[in-house]
Amino acid sequence: MNIDTKKIKSMLDRKGRMKIFLSVCASCGACADSCFYYRNSGDPESTPSYKALNSLGIMFRKWKKLDYDDLTAMKKLIWGKCVMCRRCYCPLGIDISSAISWARTICRANGVYEDFSEGPSGIKDK
Amino acid sequence: MVIARIKPIEEILGFISGKKSVLVVGCAGCTAVCLAGGQREVDSLIVDLKDNKGVIFDGYTMERQCEMEFVAELDHLIDGFQAVLSMACGAGVQFVAERFPGMPVFPALDTVFVGANREVGQYQENCRCCGDCQLAYTGGICPVALCAKGIYNGPCGGSRNGKCEVDEKTACAWCQIYERLKDQGRLDQIMNIKKPMKWKNQTQGTLVQRGYEKFQQD
Ligand code: SF4
Ligand code: SF4
Ligand code: SF4
Ligand code: SF4
Ligand code: SF4
Repeated sequence: MNIDTKKIKSMLDRKGRMKIFLSVCASCGACADSCFYYRNSGDPESTPSYKALNSLGIMFRKWKKLDYDDLTAMKKLIWGKCVMCRRCYCPLGIDISSAISWARTICRANGVYEDFSEGPSGIKDK
Repeated sequence: MVIARIKPIEEILGFISGKKSVLVVGCAGCTAVCLAGGQREVDSLIVDLKDNKGVIFDGYTMERQCEMEFVAELDHLIDGFQAVLSMACGAGVQFVAERFPGMPVFPALDTVFVGANREVGQYQENCRCCGDCQLAYTGGICPVALCAKGIYNGPCGGSRNGKCEVDEKTACAWCQIYERLKDQGRLDQIMNIKKPMKWKNQTQGTLVQRGYEKFQQD
Protein backbone atom coordinates (compact mmCIF):
# COMPACT_ATOMS: atom_id res chain seq x y z
CA MET A 1 0.00 0.00 0.00
CA ASN A 2 1.22 3.46 -0.83
CA ILE A 3 1.48 6.31 1.57
CA ASP A 4 1.53 9.98 0.72
CA THR A 5 4.90 11.35 1.84
CA LYS A 6 4.00 14.85 0.60
CA LYS A 7 1.00 14.85 2.88
CA ILE A 8 3.17 13.59 5.74
CA LYS A 9 5.61 16.41 5.11
CA SER A 10 2.91 19.04 5.14
CA MET A 11 1.48 17.61 8.36
CA LEU A 12 4.96 17.62 9.92
CA ASP A 13 5.50 21.20 8.80
CA ARG A 14 2.42 22.27 10.72
CA LYS A 15 4.09 21.09 13.93
CA GLY A 16 7.56 22.56 13.46
CA ARG A 17 7.73 23.33 17.17
CA MET A 18 7.47 19.66 17.98
CA LYS A 19 10.59 18.97 15.92
CA ILE A 20 12.54 21.46 18.02
CA PHE A 21 11.09 20.05 21.22
CA LEU A 22 11.98 16.48 20.33
CA SER A 23 15.50 17.53 19.40
CA VAL A 24 16.09 18.91 22.90
CA CYS A 25 15.00 15.70 24.64
CA ALA A 26 17.91 14.82 26.91
CA SER A 27 16.77 11.21 27.34
CA CYS A 28 16.89 11.88 31.06
CA GLY A 29 14.04 9.46 31.69
CA ALA A 30 12.20 11.80 34.04
CA CYS A 31 8.98 11.42 32.07
CA ALA A 32 8.96 7.64 32.61
CA ASP A 33 7.48 7.75 36.10
CA SER A 34 4.62 9.98 35.01
CA CYS A 35 3.39 7.31 32.59
CA PHE A 36 1.24 4.63 34.24
CA TYR A 37 1.95 2.36 31.32
CA TYR A 38 5.68 2.42 32.01
CA ARG A 39 5.17 2.12 35.75
CA ASN A 40 2.97 -0.94 35.34
CA SER A 41 5.10 -2.70 32.78
CA GLY A 42 8.65 -1.48 33.42
CA ASP A 43 9.09 -1.91 29.68
CA PRO A 44 11.71 0.60 28.45
CA GLU A 45 9.87 0.92 25.13
CA SER A 46 6.88 2.36 26.95
CA THR A 47 8.63 5.42 28.35
CA PRO A 48 6.92 8.48 26.87
CA SER A 49 10.09 9.85 25.29
CA TYR A 50 10.84 6.50 23.60
CA LYS A 51 7.35 6.39 22.12
CA ALA A 52 7.54 9.97 20.84
CA LEU A 53 11.08 9.70 19.44
CA ASN A 54 10.33 6.39 17.73
CA SER A 55 7.17 7.60 16.08
CA LEU A 56 7.03 11.33 15.35
CA GLY A 57 10.81 11.57 15.79
CA ILE A 58 11.34 9.00 13.03
CA MET A 59 8.78 10.76 10.85
CA PHE A 60 10.69 14.03 11.13
CA ARG A 61 14.01 12.33 10.41
CA LYS A 62 13.10 10.14 7.47
CA TRP A 63 9.74 11.29 6.12
CA LYS A 64 10.98 10.98 2.54
CA LYS A 65 11.83 7.31 2.93
CA LEU A 66 8.84 6.23 5.02
CA ASP A 67 6.66 3.43 3.73
CA TYR A 68 3.44 1.78 4.80
CA ASP A 69 5.29 -0.91 6.78
CA ASP A 70 7.15 1.73 8.79
CA LEU A 71 3.86 3.25 9.86
CA THR A 72 2.33 -0.14 10.60
CA ALA A 73 5.35 -1.03 12.71
CA MET A 74 4.68 2.05 14.85
CA LYS A 75 1.23 0.79 15.78
CA LYS A 76 2.39 -1.41 18.60
CA LEU A 77 4.19 1.56 20.12
CA ILE A 78 1.80 4.46 19.69
CA TRP A 79 -1.45 2.56 20.21
CA GLY A 80 -0.28 -0.60 21.93
CA LYS A 81 1.75 1.14 24.62
CA CYS A 82 -0.07 4.46 25.06
CA VAL A 83 -3.67 5.25 25.98
CA MET A 84 -3.34 8.99 25.33
CA CYS A 85 -4.22 9.84 28.92
CA ARG A 86 -1.89 12.85 28.58
CA ARG A 87 -0.48 12.53 32.05
CA CYS A 88 3.16 12.40 30.93
CA TYR A 89 5.26 15.25 32.22
CA CYS A 90 8.62 16.51 30.99
CA PRO A 91 10.54 19.06 33.09
CA LEU A 92 11.90 20.60 29.89
CA GLY A 93 8.36 21.32 28.76
CA ILE A 94 8.22 18.84 25.90
CA ASP A 95 4.57 18.05 25.17
CA ILE A 96 5.17 14.36 24.70
CA SER A 97 1.58 13.21 24.38
CA SER A 98 0.87 15.79 21.67
CA ALA A 99 3.83 14.38 19.73
CA ILE A 100 2.53 10.82 20.05
CA SER A 101 -0.95 12.03 19.14
CA TRP A 102 0.32 13.77 16.02
CA ALA A 103 2.15 10.60 14.99
CA ARG A 104 -1.16 8.76 15.34
CA THR A 105 -2.95 11.41 13.28
CA ILE A 106 -0.35 11.16 10.51
CA CYS A 107 -0.71 7.37 10.52
CA ARG A 108 -4.49 7.66 10.31
CA ALA A 109 -4.24 10.08 7.42
CA ASN A 110 -2.32 7.33 5.61
CA GLY A 111 -4.74 4.53 6.33
CA VAL A 112 -2.88 3.08 9.34
CA TYR A 113 -5.04 3.14 12.43
CA GLU A 114 -6.26 1.39 15.52
CA ASP A 115 -9.03 -1.14 15.03
CA PHE A 116 -10.80 -2.07 18.22
CA SER A 117 -12.38 -5.12 16.66
CA GLU A 118 -8.86 -6.59 16.81
CA GLY A 119 -8.47 -6.19 20.54
CA PRO A 120 -8.83 -3.78 23.43
CA SER A 121 -5.76 -1.76 22.49
CA GLY A 122 -6.77 -1.47 18.86
CA ILE A 123 -3.99 -3.65 17.49
CA LYS A 124 -3.63 -7.35 16.88
CA ASP A 125 -0.39 -8.15 18.71
CA LYS A 126 0.76 -6.35 21.76
CA MET B 1 -16.63 4.38 28.39
CA VAL B 2 -19.39 6.14 26.46
CA ILE B 3 -21.29 3.76 24.19
CA ALA B 4 -22.96 4.93 20.99
CA ARG B 5 -24.38 3.51 17.79
CA ILE B 6 -24.77 4.86 14.28
CA LYS B 7 -28.03 6.58 13.42
CA PRO B 8 -30.17 5.25 10.56
CA ILE B 9 -28.61 6.39 7.29
CA GLU B 10 -31.88 8.05 6.19
CA GLU B 11 -31.75 10.31 9.24
CA ILE B 12 -28.14 11.28 8.53
CA LEU B 13 -28.99 11.96 4.88
CA GLY B 14 -31.80 14.22 6.07
CA PHE B 15 -29.36 16.31 8.15
CA ILE B 16 -27.06 16.97 5.23
CA SER B 17 -29.65 17.35 2.52
CA GLY B 18 -28.82 20.28 0.25
CA LYS B 19 -25.21 20.49 1.48
CA LYS B 20 -22.58 20.27 -1.22
CA SER B 21 -19.58 19.37 0.93
CA VAL B 22 -19.51 17.51 4.23
CA LEU B 23 -16.66 16.76 6.62
CA VAL B 24 -17.12 13.52 8.57
CA VAL B 25 -15.23 13.76 11.85
CA GLY B 26 -14.40 10.64 13.85
CA CYS B 27 -13.40 10.28 17.48
CA ALA B 28 -10.56 7.88 18.36
CA GLY B 29 -11.78 7.76 21.96
CA CYS B 30 -14.81 5.88 23.27
CA THR B 31 -16.75 5.69 20.03
CA ALA B 32 -13.78 4.13 18.24
CA VAL B 33 -13.49 1.55 21.00
CA CYS B 34 -17.20 0.68 20.78
CA LEU B 35 -16.89 0.41 16.97
CA ALA B 36 -19.30 3.27 16.27
CA GLY B 37 -17.28 6.34 15.34
CA GLY B 38 -13.54 5.73 14.84
CA GLN B 39 -11.55 6.04 11.67
CA ARG B 40 -12.84 2.72 10.31
CA GLU B 41 -16.44 3.87 10.77
CA VAL B 42 -15.67 7.28 9.24
CA ASP B 43 -14.39 5.52 6.13
CA SER B 44 -17.42 3.25 5.90
CA LEU B 45 -19.93 6.05 6.52
CA ILE B 46 -18.34 8.01 3.68
CA VAL B 47 -18.75 4.97 1.41
CA ASP B 48 -22.42 4.69 2.44
CA LEU B 49 -23.04 8.37 1.83
CA LYS B 50 -21.22 8.51 -1.50
CA ASP B 51 -24.34 7.42 -3.39
CA ASN B 52 -25.31 10.99 -2.76
CA LYS B 53 -24.15 12.28 -6.14
CA GLY B 54 -22.56 15.68 -6.41
CA VAL B 55 -21.65 15.97 -2.73
CA ILE B 56 -17.99 16.10 -1.69
CA PHE B 57 -17.13 14.11 1.43
CA ASP B 58 -13.92 14.07 3.39
CA GLY B 59 -13.02 12.40 6.67
CA TYR B 60 -10.81 13.22 9.62
CA THR B 61 -10.43 11.38 12.91
CA MET B 62 -8.98 13.06 15.98
CA GLU B 63 -7.91 11.58 19.32
CA ARG B 64 -10.92 12.89 21.22
CA GLN B 65 -13.61 15.39 20.37
CA CYS B 66 -14.08 16.28 24.03
CA GLU B 67 -10.70 18.01 24.20
CA MET B 68 -10.40 21.44 22.57
CA GLU B 69 -6.73 21.03 21.68
CA PHE B 70 -7.66 18.10 19.46
CA VAL B 71 -10.81 19.77 18.08
CA ALA B 72 -8.58 22.70 17.04
CA GLU B 73 -6.94 20.38 14.48
CA LEU B 74 -10.03 21.07 12.38
CA ASP B 75 -9.33 24.82 12.20
CA HIS B 76 -7.35 24.62 8.98
CA LEU B 77 -9.54 21.88 7.47
CA ILE B 78 -13.02 23.14 7.92
CA ASP B 79 -13.10 26.00 5.42
CA GLY B 80 -14.99 25.11 2.30
CA PHE B 81 -17.24 22.56 3.99
CA GLN B 82 -20.92 23.31 4.40
CA ALA B 83 -21.57 20.88 7.23
CA VAL B 84 -19.85 18.60 9.72
CA LEU B 85 -21.02 15.12 10.71
CA SER B 86 -19.55 14.22 14.07
CA MET B 87 -19.09 10.57 15.03
CA ALA B 88 -18.35 11.26 18.70
CA CYS B 89 -20.70 11.06 21.67
CA GLY B 90 -22.98 14.02 22.34
CA ALA B 91 -20.26 15.76 24.37
CA GLY B 92 -17.88 15.66 21.42
CA VAL B 93 -20.51 16.87 18.94
CA GLN B 94 -21.17 19.88 21.16
CA PHE B 95 -17.47 20.72 21.51
CA VAL B 96 -17.07 20.74 17.74
CA ALA B 97 -20.22 22.87 17.38
CA GLU B 98 -18.90 25.26 20.02
CA ARG B 99 -15.58 25.70 18.25
CA PHE B 100 -17.26 26.46 14.91
CA PRO B 101 -20.45 28.34 15.83
CA GLY B 102 -21.12 29.33 12.22
CA MET B 103 -21.01 25.74 10.96
CA PRO B 104 -23.93 23.30 11.10
CA VAL B 105 -22.62 20.31 13.09
CA PHE B 106 -24.76 17.15 13.06
CA PRO B 107 -24.51 13.98 15.15
CA ALA B 108 -24.04 10.80 13.13
CA LEU B 109 -24.43 8.66 16.26
CA ASP B 110 -26.92 8.12 19.03
CA THR B 111 -25.14 8.19 22.38
CA VAL B 112 -26.75 5.48 24.45
CA PHE B 113 -25.02 4.89 27.76
CA VAL B 114 -21.93 4.58 29.92
CA GLY B 115 -20.93 0.97 29.87
CA ALA B 116 -18.35 -1.73 29.77
CA ASN B 117 -16.97 -3.99 27.06
CA ARG B 118 -18.31 -7.54 27.53
CA GLU B 119 -16.98 -8.83 24.21
CA VAL B 120 -15.88 -7.12 21.03
CA GLY B 121 -19.03 -5.40 19.86
CA GLN B 122 -21.03 -6.20 23.02
CA TYR B 123 -21.49 -3.56 25.65
CA GLN B 124 -23.38 -3.44 28.88
CA GLU B 125 -24.77 -0.37 30.57
CA ASN B 126 -23.76 -0.32 34.18
CA CYS B 127 -23.69 3.27 35.36
CA ARG B 128 -26.17 6.13 34.94
CA CYS B 129 -23.87 8.81 36.34
CA CYS B 130 -26.25 9.42 39.24
CA GLY B 131 -23.71 11.56 41.08
CA ASP B 132 -24.09 9.71 44.40
CA CYS B 133 -22.45 6.33 43.90
CA GLN B 134 -24.00 3.54 45.95
CA LEU B 135 -21.63 0.74 44.94
CA ALA B 136 -19.93 0.72 48.35
CA TYR B 137 -23.19 -0.47 49.95
CA THR B 138 -24.46 -2.63 47.13
CA GLY B 139 -21.59 -5.04 46.69
CA GLY B 140 -20.33 -3.37 43.53
CA ILE B 141 -23.61 -3.82 41.65
CA CYS B 142 -25.38 -0.67 40.49
CA PRO B 143 -28.97 -0.36 41.72
CA VAL B 144 -29.65 2.54 39.36
CA ALA B 145 -28.57 1.08 36.03
CA LEU B 146 -29.24 -2.61 36.69
CA CYS B 147 -32.52 -2.53 38.62
CA ALA B 148 -35.44 -1.75 36.34
CA LYS B 149 -36.92 0.55 38.98
CA GLY B 150 -33.64 2.07 40.07
CA ILE B 151 -34.58 1.60 43.69
CA TYR B 152 -32.25 2.08 46.64
CA ASN B 153 -34.05 -0.14 49.12
CA GLY B 154 -34.65 -3.30 47.17
CA PRO B 155 -35.72 -5.78 46.21
CA CYS B 156 -39.21 -4.76 45.23
CA GLY B 157 -42.03 -7.29 45.56
CA GLY B 158 -41.55 -8.54 42.03
CA SER B 159 -38.25 -10.32 42.42
CA ARG B 160 -38.79 -14.04 41.64
CA ASN B 161 -36.21 -16.83 41.58
CA GLY B 162 -33.45 -14.31 41.05
CA LYS B 163 -35.19 -12.74 38.04
CA CYS B 164 -36.77 -9.32 37.55
CA GLU B 165 -40.52 -8.96 37.13
CA VAL B 166 -40.04 -6.42 34.36
CA ASP B 167 -38.28 -9.01 32.18
CA GLU B 168 -37.96 -12.55 33.41
CA LYS B 169 -34.85 -13.10 31.28
CA THR B 170 -33.03 -10.42 33.27
CA ALA B 171 -31.40 -11.02 36.62
CA CYS B 172 -32.85 -9.08 39.55
CA ALA B 173 -30.09 -6.67 40.51
CA TRP B 174 -31.22 -6.58 44.13
CA CYS B 175 -31.16 -10.34 44.33
CA GLN B 176 -27.56 -10.24 43.07
CA ILE B 177 -26.73 -7.50 45.55
CA TYR B 178 -28.15 -9.62 48.39
CA GLU B 179 -26.28 -12.75 47.32
CA ARG B 180 -22.96 -10.99 46.94
CA LEU B 181 -23.17 -9.17 50.25
CA LYS B 182 -24.23 -12.39 51.95
CA ASP B 183 -21.17 -14.18 50.53
CA GLN B 184 -18.98 -11.37 51.82
CA GLY B 185 -20.68 -11.33 55.22
CA ARG B 186 -21.74 -7.72 54.67
CA LEU B 187 -25.54 -7.90 54.68
CA ASP B 188 -25.64 -5.18 57.34
CA GLN B 189 -24.81 -2.76 54.48
CA ILE B 190 -28.37 -2.95 53.16
CA MET B 191 -30.23 -3.29 56.43
CA ASN B 192 -30.46 0.47 56.94
CA ILE B 193 -33.08 2.30 54.93
CA LYS B 194 -31.52 4.65 52.40
CA LYS B 195 -32.78 8.21 52.20
CA PRO B 196 -34.43 9.30 48.96
CA MET B 197 -31.96 9.95 46.16
CA LYS B 198 -31.28 13.57 45.28
CA TRP B 199 -31.15 12.81 41.56
CA LYS B 200 -28.50 15.41 40.99
CA ASN B 201 -28.15 14.22 37.45
CA GLN B 202 -31.35 16.04 36.55
CA THR B 203 -29.33 19.26 36.19
CA GLN B 204 -26.34 19.82 33.95
CA GLY B 205 -23.17 18.47 35.51
CA THR B 206 -19.82 20.22 35.86
CA LEU B 207 -16.92 18.58 37.64
CA VAL B 208 -13.77 20.22 38.94
CA GLN B 209 -11.40 17.65 40.45
CA ARG B 210 -9.94 18.45 43.85
CA GLY B 211 -6.79 20.55 43.47
CA TYR B 212 -7.88 22.01 40.16
CA GLU B 213 -10.23 24.68 41.53
CA LYS B 214 -7.82 27.47 40.71
CA PHE B 215 -8.01 26.62 37.03
CA GLN B 216 -11.78 26.90 36.98
CA GLN B 217 -13.03 29.64 34.70
CA ASP B 218 -15.90 31.86 35.76
S1 SF4 C 1 10.84 13.90 27.19
FE1 SF4 C 1 11.62 15.27 28.78
S2 SF4 C 1 11.59 14.04 30.67
FE2 SF4 C 1 11.37 12.61 28.94
S3 SF4 C 1 13.46 11.91 28.50
FE3 SF4 C 1 13.09 13.68 27.16
S4 SF4 C 1 13.83 15.48 28.31
FE4 SF4 C 1 13.64 13.76 29.79
S1 SF4 D 1 -0.31 9.81 27.14
FE1 SF4 D 1 0.69 7.83 26.69
S2 SF4 D 1 2.87 8.21 27.13
FE2 SF4 D 1 1.71 9.85 28.13
S3 SF4 D 1 1.34 9.15 30.23
FE3 SF4 D 1 -0.45 8.51 29.00
S4 SF4 D 1 0.00 6.43 28.31
FE4 SF4 D 1 1.96 7.34 29.00
S1 SF4 E 1 -15.83 12.92 22.59
FE1 SF4 E 1 -17.18 11.43 23.60
S2 SF4 E 1 -16.76 9.54 22.51
FE2 SF4 E 1 -15.03 10.90 22.07
S3 SF4 E 1 -13.51 10.42 23.67
FE3 SF4 E 1 -14.75 12.14 24.41
S4 SF4 E 1 -16.33 11.16 25.68
FE4 SF4 E 1 -15.47 9.56 24.37
S1 SF4 F 1 -24.75 4.15 41.86
FE1 SF4 F 1 -24.79 3.33 39.80
S2 SF4 F 1 -25.41 5.09 38.54
FE2 SF4 F 1 -24.77 5.91 40.50
S3 SF4 F 1 -22.59 6.44 40.14
FE3 SF4 F 1 -22.67 4.38 41.10
S4 SF4 F 1 -22.60 2.98 39.33
FE4 SF4 F 1 -23.18 4.99 38.52
S1 SF4 G 1 -37.37 -7.34 40.49
FE1 SF4 G 1 -35.34 -6.70 41.20
S2 SF4 G 1 -34.38 -5.69 39.42
FE2 SF4 G 1 -36.57 -5.88 38.97
S3 SF4 G 1 -37.42 -3.92 39.63
FE3 SF4 G 1 -37.63 -5.32 41.39
S4 SF4 G 1 -35.77 -5.02 42.60
FE4 SF4 G 1 -35.41 -4.08 40.62
